[in-house]
Amino acid sequence: MDSGSGAFSDDYESLISTTDADLLKRSWRNEKAAPEILKFEGSLVQRSREQIQLMEETVEELMQNGEDPLTVSLYQMDIDRTTFLLRSYLRTRLQKIEKFMFHIQKTADLWARLSKQEQKFARRSIEDMKQHFEQSVLSKLPERYNSHSKQSVISEEDDMAAEPKLDSFVICRTRKFLGALPVDDSGEENPLDMYAGDIYALRYKSIKPLIESGQLDLV
Amino acid sequence: MYGRKASQLLKEFASGDSGQLTGFNNELFAQVIEECKGHSQCLEDLLRQSQEEGSNNQTSKKADLHGALIHHLSLVRNKRCLMAYVYNRAEVIQSLGWTIKCGLPEEIEEKLSNSEKEYFKNHSATLRSYMKELDIDLGVDMVPPKDPYIKVRVLEEIGDDVILSDQVANLARHAILYLRRTDAEEYISQGKMEELTV
Repeated sequence: MDSGSGAFSDDYESLISTTDADLLKRSWRNEKAAPEILKFEGSLVQRSREQIQLMEETVEELMQNGEDPLTVSLYQMDIDRTTFLLRSYLRTRLQKIEKFMFHIQKTADLWARLSKQEQKFARRSIEDMKQHFEQSVLSKLPERYNSHSKQSVISEEDDMAAEPKLDSFVICRTRKFLGALPVDDSGEENPLDMYAGDIYALRYKSIKPLIESGQLDLV
Repeated sequence: MYGRKASQLLKEFASGDSGQLTGFNNELFAQVIEECKGHSQCLEDLLRQSQEEGSNNQTSKKADLHGALIHHLSLVRNKRCLMAYVYNRAEVIQSLGWTIKCGLPEEIEEKLSNSEKEYFKNHSATLRSYMKELDIDLGVDMVPPKDPYIKVRVLEEIGDDVILSDQVANLARHAILYLRRTDAEEYISQGKMEELTV
């Protein structure tokens, strides 16, 4: 087990042996399991799309050359899987945006995690939703109660927007030895020794930075 | 009792199957809106009254203010319920936007309010424009693929010699054939084919 001494060389080795498909799978899993939206993997998505295209061309070529159908279908399966990952990744993100659009919009940090197209999508979704709220409910309510983000004019902050539950539990796997971690913010001293490959159920909030830096994976 | 109608509205939504819509309850919805207006009226009256009375009568002033508070809280609660009703329905409508590409089936459409219909149209257009920009269709591939080919039965006459990505197929009604999953999914989502589980 990795004790942390050769961390650099291990990192390097794992880096060159990790394919984009692995990376995509990891990003997809993290995105699926995290309650909030994560940073958009722009270049990874770009690379994956190029690879898919390349593979499709290869398959085309193989088929024309009269290659063994089994080989072709194996390639095809690989393409299908990668495309599924890619689609599902993008889809999951959009669904999160649909769900937390108002919250994402007002939180600059979250807003910056979206891709350009996603920002556009979010902006339009918000417009659609606002219009729908306006027509169905808000225009019919008394003036001081007709905001979509506040319950009434006397609310000091926005108290109507859906927010992700950051303290929900997630299952995560450590990628390397992380040492003792304070995973509980209840004030009790309760550090957890985390070894590579260990699986834990923890509150998302407490391990958020580790996921962002790629030291932990969600499963 | 204040706020009862609004909670009825929500209960009605919550008692339905998740992901399914019941008809938009216009009547009850309008009643709750009326209730809100009533609260607002009472609230204003009470506030005015307590202002007019000035500081001479502390007890009645206090009573008025407490009354006003009740009306305010009821109004806010009603608003939350109304918004929750609309919002939760909107979430279901959003999810429809993922699977339905061309127009809503009639049996769903008649359950929506006018604003909801418009919302569905707008939101699916938003979704489509995102997919177009990226040139990727996110409406297919909803489940992880196991096999590139799936067995399907054609439910509706689609036509002879339909050109698919790898073959030209005769998609007559009741025909059972193996198709590329990506080809079949489009027809499945339109209800023209069903997947046969082996």
